[in-house]
Parts: sequence; structure tokens; C-alpha cells
Amino acid sequence: MAELKADKTNEPKVDDIKAAAEEKGCPVQKAKYYITEFLSGPMCGRCLPCSLGSYEAVVRLDRLVEGSGREADIAALRRIATEMLDGSMCKKGKDTAKFILDWMDTDVYREHIEGRCPDQKCLAFIEYRVVPEKCTMCGLCKDACHYGAVHGDKSKPFLSGYRPFEIRQKKCVKCDECRKVCPEEAIVILDIKKKEPVGV
Amino acid sequence: MAKVINLTIDGKAAQAPEGSTLIAAAEMNGIHIPNLCYLKGMKGIGACRLCLVEIEGMKAPMISCTTKVKEGMVVNTRTERVQEVRKFVVDLILSMHPLDCMTCTKAGVCNLQQYAYDFEIKESNFTRKKFGYPVDQSNPFIKRDPEYCVLCSRCIRICKSQGTNVLEFSGRGVGAKVVTANDKPLQESNCTFCGNCIDVCPVNAILESDRWRKGREWEYTKAATVCLSCGNACSTIVSTKDGEVMKINSGASEGTAERFLCAVGRFGFDSVKGDLRVTAPMKRVGGKLEETSWEDAIALAAEKLKIAGAEASFISSGSILNEDAALMKKMASDVVKTKNIDSTVSLYSEYDAMNSATADLENADLFVLVGLAPDQWKRVLPALDAIVRKRMNDGGAKLLVLNSKEPKIASVATAFLKGDEVKMLEELAQAVISKGVKAPKEMIEALAHVNPSDAAMNAADVFEAAKVPVIFSSPALYKAALNLSLIKGDAVAVPLEANAKGVIMMGMTSEGKKFNEIISSSSKVLYAVGETPVKTRPDTGFLIVQTSYMTDLAKQADLILPSAAALESDGTIIDYLGRLKQVKMTCEPVGQSRQNSDIFMSVAAAMGTPLKMVKDTDIKKAAKTKVKVAFSPFKRGKGLDIDVEQFINDMRISTINGSRLLWLKELETAVAV
Repeated sequence: MAELKADKTNEPKVDDIKAAAEEKGCPVQKAKYYITEFLSGPMCGRCLPCSLGSYEAVVRLDRLVEGSGREADIAALRRIATEMLDGSMCKKGKDTAKFILDWMDTDVYREHIEGRCPDQKCLAFIEYRVVPEKCTMCGLCKDACHYGAVHGDKSKPFLSGYRPFEIRQKKCVKCDECRKVCPEEAIVILDIKKKEPVGV
Repeated sequence: MAKVINLTIDGKAAQAPEGSTLIAAAEMNGIHIPNLCYLKGMKGIGACRLCLVEIEGMKAPMISCTTKVKEGMVVNTRTERVQEVRKFVVDLILSMHPLDCMTCTKAGVCNLQQYAYDFEIKESNFTRKKFGYPVDQSNPFIKRDPEYCVLCSRCIRICKSQGTNVLEFSGRGVGAKVVTANDKPLQESNCTFCGNCIDVCPVNAILESDRWRKGREWEYTKAATVCLSCGNACSTIVSTKDGEVMKINSGASEGTAERFLCAVGRFGFDSVKGDLRVTAPMKRVGGKLEETSWEDAIALAAEKLKIAGAEASFISSGSILNEDAALMKKMASDVVKTKNIDSTVSLYSEYDAMNSATADLENADLFVLVGLAPDQWKRVLPALDAIVRKRMNDGGAKLLVLNSKEPKIASVATAFLKGDEVKMLEELAQAVISKGVKAPKEMIEALAHVNPSDAAMNAADVFEAAKVPVIFSSPALYKAALNLSLIKGDAVAVPLEANAKGVIMMGMTSEGKKFNEIISSSSKVLYAVGETPVKTRPDTGFLIVQTSYMTDLAKQADLILPSAAALESDGTIIDYLGRLKQVKMTCEPVGQSRQNSDIFMSVAAAMGTPLKMVKDTDIKKAAKTKVKVAFSPFKRGKGLDIDVEQFINDMRISTINGSRLLWLKELETAVAV
């Protein structure tokens, strides 16, 4: 037991994890990050609802983030959180439950199973597109992409027949590098499900 | 008695003694509160959360395994709120538990299976988790399959409580696993293979190794009986199927310190069908032992005994049943008419030390071990060792050890007085008296010259503080130890054999030669019953050995009468606490072997003086004799010093050699060397 206690001083505190989680844009990712960190750190494993429940919660949140979430996952999450709140031995478990529950009543979980991340942070639900009207064919994005996902010919004066710049979705890992370097803000993030016309 | 508390559980009026937990109180009133991690008799840890209940006036549900009863408490054990939590936990556990109830050996007695049924969970609603842990089945006794584990930690806690301390969790949460030190197989840890973890495991994670397709709980016939392997005479429950013993569990009631069995008691039953069993009467023809018929064997025994008369001698072990002992005594004194009848008990005890005395183990707050070295690892009175350690760990009892050597149990003693036991007893008694505690006059006078050491004074503090001390002594030191009980507590002599007290109380006390004299002097006929530590043939004209196993002595016999083994006999014994215990026949005697009492009656009848079976009422009457507790000089019984380990080994050797216990014995000798 003495060893366990000694270890605990180095472990992140629940509050630290909470603060770090706040930096994640999307509430689902916040919860996932929080519980993952909780499991590898402060979770003591002394009672089953918390130790088994949070593990299952991560599995379910993973599905939501990855876009394979279903109605059943939300129901499971709601059940995990409710029962953990009632059943856990200590405050740590109850806090974790609350963290999940906080967002339960908003639409954010449901949006995720419908294929949208309102904060456009969950990669499974977004894609990067080049807005042709804004693109000046400078090629910076192509240079920035490590994955060869940007195709197109750099514009050279007095020549014609350039291929316009576009992003190959199959190769794109959504690392955001191209968008960051674009001087014209010609690269935008779109919800896959919405499929709104590019531009405007 | 503790104060009675009135409370309401599920709308019913209920009573429970003060200080009991809600879960125990509910159980007492016939209401089962689901649980996986609760272990009766031990402190609750509230890990599984299945035992949550709602108490009126409290906002949050409470765990009933740690909450104590209070007057007027109104408890609801089945509200929707707590049922949902229970269902949730069972659901989660099922998501990581193999769903193979159809072939699982524990089906029918599995708590998880029961709760899944109760909560109508056909299959888990959560994601399936599999870990691929290897199974530890490298020993012939205990199989550990972590895949089935529900992380209740019962095995860990029982192992810690009895002081063996082999199991521990590695990791936490979903990935936790019950392991030995460095996750080695059991035989490479300090495991004694007592198998008490099997008794507490709610699922199939820890199980007897030999149970695969040997029938399940509902196919077994169960009998409550007693293990006769050593002086502790532990209660057992023997499960049989088609006349064969399938497993043995502890028979002491749940939650008591006595709920313990050692490897010999739990796993030694295969010796009953082992190679060393004698299955037919044998007589020596031309220097060789040959099988013969019962008629012939009985006639031969009767003829030889008749000729020998008063010059015949009878010896037996202290493990034969009361009925057998009483009949044997009758046969010797009334039929053969000899005074030379004695048992191995006289090797280590005076007759009167074996008179009944009892003690309250479950309420004892101090144990005093005088000259005793119970040891689970050497399997010398292992249950006594476990009982003392359990009461210390779970009940806060204290321990004083008085011993001239350094027994293992001394390392956990509250105080250890090393030195000659009689001297230490004198010093302890004098130290207690010097603190102003009342004692009989003779004792004060007898101790006037004694000057207690500081260690004795410290030990006396412990003794003085105790309310219910129990003094266990080796039989040789019983009279001296009894003096201590004149101040406070109960003194009990702990013999080395299961029915030592019964054998003596049934009258197996010699008026002629004693055991040692019988085997060292010459006799016309020597009739030896049971497994005795006699290895070479004493000087006798004709040696009759009545035994279940081919012992060293049996090999040198002129006539062998095969007797039923302990698991094949019906009768009673008197254990070390003076309790009359029933021994039940759990399977038919092997081959032609017959019960000891049957053989005695046949021999007596053949000699022309038929004996009647001893009546139960006579046994009960004989078992009631109580010794008067009076002061006697601080002295050690003379000539009773034997090598306890050697003696116990000798008595057990045929059981062990005919069983898988031999594997364990060889392993342990290998490690010791």
C-alpha cells in the first residue's frame, strides 16, 4: 500500500486531467480524453462500477468519435454514467460519471451518431476541400502535405492548362497542415454528411 | 450476548445482534442481498457494489457489507435504483466473462450465473472483452483460469487472512489479474495447496484440477463428515457421484475461523482408491503373504488369540472411531481377556489430559500456544495454525507463544516466550499474579520462588487484557497449562490424532503394558489396528495387522485384515475441543475391506463370545466425562516427548504415498534440500 501511495504523487490529479480535457474542442473528445487519462491514472480499481464502467465508456466514446456510433452507444453511455454516479465508491468515480452526463442532455452525442461533429473536431465527420474561387495555385499546401494528398499544378506565368488544386480524400489524414499554410484561406473544413457546395 | 437491534428490511420486521452488518442481518432474516466480494466473517470491502441498499433518510444508496445495523433503521434491498446498479455491474462482468455455462464445472453454484438469471441478462449489453490469459494448471490440485475471474478478491483475502499470503492483484480495473509473486505457477510460490481459495471463489476462476467432466454440483450426493488425518479433525463435506468421491470441501459453517481444510484433507481422498490399499485378507504362507478368505482369516485370528489369552497385546492408532475403540477394548478385556491394550495416544499424552475440555474459538480474543507448533506449511495441525491467524487478522485476537524452539507461528505472536515451556508457564502465571490478578492459593504458594522476566511481564499484560483467552497446549504440558486457566480462560490439550480424545474416553487405557512396552517387549500375539508409527515387527509369535493400507508393519504381518478407510466408515469421533462429531460413510469399502467394528465382532463371535455393536447412547455417555479443573504442580508429563513432525509423517505416510499428495511431498522435499 505504501508503494501505491508513493506512486500517486506523480500521477496526474483529476483536476489536471479535467483542465487538459477542456482544451479538446469537441465534448465527445473531451470525455474520451478525460476517461482515458482517468483510467491510466487516478482510477484506483477498488470498485467494479467505476473500473469496469469507465473502460466500457471509452470503448463507446471511441465509436462516437470514429463515426461508427449508434443509438445503442448513447444509451450505454447514459446507463454507465447514471449507474456509476449511484454505484461508485468514491468521488472520483462519481465525477467521471458527471463528466459524461454533463453533455448528455445536449445534442452533441446524437449529432455524432448522425455523422456530425458540431465543433468539427472529430476527423471522421469532416473533410478538407480547396475552394477553387479562392485558390491562387501557389502550391504551399502541396509542399506542406506529408501524405501526398494535395494534387494540382503550381501556377506559372504565361502557361495554361494547369490542373486545379484539390485534396484526395483517400489520402488525406486531416492533419490540418495545408489549411494552416494557405495564405488565401482557400482550404476549408466541411461536414461530410452535409455535402454543401464548395465555395460561396 | 450482544444487544438485539430491531430494524425493518424490505417491509419486514427484523432483528440482528448489535454490531452486525446489514448484509449479515438480512441473511439472518432470510433475505439475500446479492454480492460477489462479501466474505462472511471478514471485513467488507464494498468492491462489487452489488450489495447496495437504500436506507430511508439517506440520500445515496449504501453498501450493506460495511454498514452496521442501527435501531429503527428502515432498509430497502430491492428498490429500482439499486437493482439497476446491480444489473449494470453483472452486465459489465458478463462482458468479460466466458459465456460457457453449458460446459462450465461451476454451473449451478456459480454466483454470477445466478445473478445473470436473477437480473434476466441473457448476454451482456456491453462490448465483449477477451484477455487470452494462460491457465495455471501445472499442479494436480488447483486450476486457476483468470479468464473467468470477476475480480472479487475473495481468494486474495482468504489467503491473506490465514497467513499464507500467496495471491495478490496485479494491475487494476479491467486488466487486473490475480497472481502469485512474479506471476509464477502456484508450486513456485509459497502455496500450501490448502485449496481454501477454491471454496470462496464465486465462479470458475479457481477450481479443483480434477473436476473437468466429473459431474456438477447437482449430480453429487453430499455427506457431512470429518477428516481424520490429524488432531484437528476438521469438518468436511464430501461430494460423491456414483459411489466415488469427487471433491471435499470444508464443512465448518461459513464465516467461522474453523472453515479451513489443508491439502491432505481436501485432496488426499484419492488414496482411498490408491495402489496401497489392502483389498483382501492376507495370511503368511511359507514366508509369503497370500490372499485368503474372510472366514479363514477370522478363524485364524480367533484361534491365535484364544491360545494367547492374557499374553496377547492390542495396539491401535488414535484415529480409529469411538465405536471401534469401544469394541476393541471390549474384545481385549472381555473376550481375549488381556490387559495389554493401548493406543498411540499414550506416546504423547497422559490419559487424563485427553478428557474433554472445550473452548470458544470464535469469540476468543487471545490464544496461548504452549509447546505447540502448528504449521500450515509442514501440515502439522495446519487448521489450528489457520484458525489462530484468521482470528488474529479478522477478529483482532492476540497470540502468546510459549515454546522452547522457534515455531513459525511465533513470528506473528503478540509476545513470544522462548524457553522451557514449564518455566515459561510459571513465569507467565507469576507475572499475571504479580499484577494483582486473583489466583488459587496453592498456585500462589507454588510460584512464590519464581521471578518473572521482562518478557513474561509484557506477555502478562496481554493475558491480563484478554477477556476470553484460549490456552492450547501440547498434551504433555496440559496439566501445567491448565493452571493458567485457573486464572482465566479455557485450557485445551491438542492431540496429534483425530480421535485421540475419543479413543481414551472409550476406555482404551492400558492396565497392563503401555504402547511403548508392548512394541518393545515380546508377546504371543500382537493385534495392531490402524496406521501406527511402528515400522519394524515387534517380537511377537503372531502379528495381526488390521489396516486399510499396506504399511511397513503390514508387510511383516502374519495376517492382514483389510479395514475400511476413514471415508468408508460410519461412526463418531471426539475432536480436540471435545466435540462429538459424526463420521459418515461416503463410499463403499474398497474390495473386501470391512469396517473395523465388523471385524472385531466377527473375531469375537469366532472365539465364542459374540459382542454387540456399541450403542449411540453409550458413546454419548462416555463422551460426557469432564475433568475437574484443579491446581496441579507445574510439571511436564514424563516420557511424552516425541518428534511431532516425524510422528505425523509416519501416521500419514500411506495416505500420502497412495495419492497425488506424493507429488506435493516430493516437491517440498526437493525445495527443502
